[in-house]
Amino acid sequence: MTTIDLPAGRSERRWPTLNRLVGVGRRSPTATVGFVIVVAFALMAIFAQYITPHDPVEAYPRNILNPPDAQFWLGTDGNGMDISSRVIYGARYAFAIAVPAVLLSIIIGVPIGLWTGYRGGLFDEGLMRFFDALRVFPSIILALAVVAAAGPSVINVVIVIGLLDSPIFVRVVRAEVLALRSSTMVEAARAAGNPTWRILLVHLLPNAIQGAMAQTAVRAAWAVRISATLAFLGVGIQVPTPEWGVMIRQGAEYMVTGQWWVAIFPGIALVVMVLGLNMLGDGLQDLLNPRRKG
Amino acid sequence: MTVRRFLLRRLVFIVPLLLGIVFFTFMLVRIGGQDPVEMLAGPTATQAHIDLIERELGLDQPLLSQFLIYIGNVFTGNLGDSWISSQPVLDDILRRAPITLELLFWGVGLGALIGIPVGLRVAGRPDSWFDQCARVVSLFGFSIPTYWLGLVMLFVFFYLLGWAPPGIGRIGLVVIPPETITGSYLIDSLLTGDWEAAHSAFSHLVLPVTCIAIISAAPIIKHTRAIALEVYRGDAVRFARASGLPRWVVRRIVMRNSTVPVMTFVGTEITGLVGTTSLIEFVFAWGGLGQYGLNAIISGDFAAVQGYVLFLALFSVIVFLIIDLTVVIIEPRSSEAT
Repeated sequence: MTTIDLPAGRSERRWPTLNRLVGVGRRSPTATVGFVIVVAFALMAIFAQYITPHDPVEAYPRNILNPPDAQFWLGTDGNGMDISSRVIYGARYAFAIAVPAVLLSIIIGVPIGLWTGYRGGLFDEGLMRFFDALRVFPSIILALAVVAAAGPSVINVVIVIGLLDSPIFVRVVRAEVLALRSSTMVEAARAAGNPTWRILLVHLLPNAIQGAMAQTAVRAAWAVRISATLAFLGVGIQVPTPEWGVMIRQGAEYMVTGQWWVAIFPGIALVVMVLGLNMLGDGLQDLLNPRRKG
Repeated sequence: MTVRRFLLRRLVFIVPLLLGIVFFTFMLVRIGGQDPVEMLAGPTATQAHIDLIERELGLDQPLLSQFLIYIGNVFTGNLGDSWISSQPVLDDILRRAPITLELLFWGVGLGALIGIPVGLRVAGRPDSWFDQCARVVSLFGFSIPTYWLGLVMLFVFFYLLGWAPPGIGRIGLVVIPPETITGSYLIDSLLTGDWEAAHSAFSHLVLPVTCIAIISAAPIIKHTRAIALEVYRGDAVRFARASGLPRWVVRRIVMRNSTVPVMTFVGTEITGLVGTTSLIEFVFAWGGLGQYGLNAIISGDFAAVQGYVLFLALFSVIVFLIIDLTVVIIEPRSSEAT
């Protein structure tokens, strides 16, 4: 044994983030698998135009409903469009909706949660009752009703998902703030003469944001699912956009006549992507919230 | 006494809640971009014709007076007419509600029947092989889109294997439906002793109910596990173990102590699963209230949407009420907490 012992924690000091990540991977295989899946889909979305064999919206009229073969890896749909290319491009729509939607709900939810949690009072009470009332409805019904009223477009879908999801972030942040509000730390900050905005931003936000961050992946999974569902119902994104929900809608009628590939493949992509986000989210929640562990 | 006071206190909250919901939906459908008049009149209608339709539907009035008229009608049991089916909305809803409830309750019932025992079981041995499996399975359940699962089921069990009937409707096309008693084909045909209809109704129920059960079992497993895990860590179990009680007694203690939170959770699940059920109805052309509601929303049928949403809210409120009431009855100490 002639190895020289490095001072303990040296490598940890040099790569704190990386080491933490490796530690996470070892502790939570679920999160690792989820992370790999999400990264794979992200790469697919970014490099879509280089890895797709065909244009996703180009119709080949002679190749309608081709089964999977060498030319059309996953077959063609009822318009003669290449399904493999459409599935790959679909990843772009999943991210293009989920990322801004989750950002929007954070931007709306976190400040409201901070403020109402800190101030309490009538507004807080009223808002919580309003959120309780919203819970009476299944999320898909609510999303469908609002999107149908607002008119179908990608922007509207993003806004509606972001709005409907913001109560989650309000609740999480509010709960943290409520727990911290009367802590010694905040009391000291107040006694030192900090203005309210400074207490909120400097003292409460960093402590409360972790809980919100832990939710992001799961909320993204929900956003991907719900946007695909809206598209499947014919509200939101429309044919011939290469979006997974739209593609499943197009393939639904062929499921009972044997052309399974039209709806199966986009469905698999959707399931795997949502599963990846959920696995990542599960790991994140365990990690950022030790109380939940076990 | 406590039960009655509890009920009264609840009812006081329900009325403003429902009023708020009606107002919210009313404004939502009207502010939105859907214009039923244009749709009803068609593209070639003259302005005079459009005005006439608007007047007939009462849409030329100011919003507030429209709302007041609507509320007044609701209290007399008139929810207006659907502009698409031209039927009174209330009749439409009442006829279709049992169809959806049947699907919902078999589905959630089966889901709970699988989910609760599995959740209790894995909580007893956390991180075991079985626990990991249950975790993966329930993650899958969270991730599968309902409608796609339905389509895959149809493909496998109808197209490939030929075991299941096609996904159109609740009973075979050549089978005469039983006379309506409860509104559920299966129960009605069993009550009237019509075995052929019962068989057909049952075989049509299998796939959609299985789909809903799969989707509902996932969160039930997850939450039952979390709840039971908490109980396992509690003093009651530690004491039982320290006293050397056999494993099955410990398990019974856990079961008893988990009953209330698990029941509450399943109750909230029921209302959430209305969305899932609606999608399943959509795929299997079930023709229940869920499908009716989805179609009403998509096509901008104002009166039908309002009626549907009101009914949904009422349903959720009743489910919550029943659950809270059961909890208060089986665990009186919780009534002080609420």
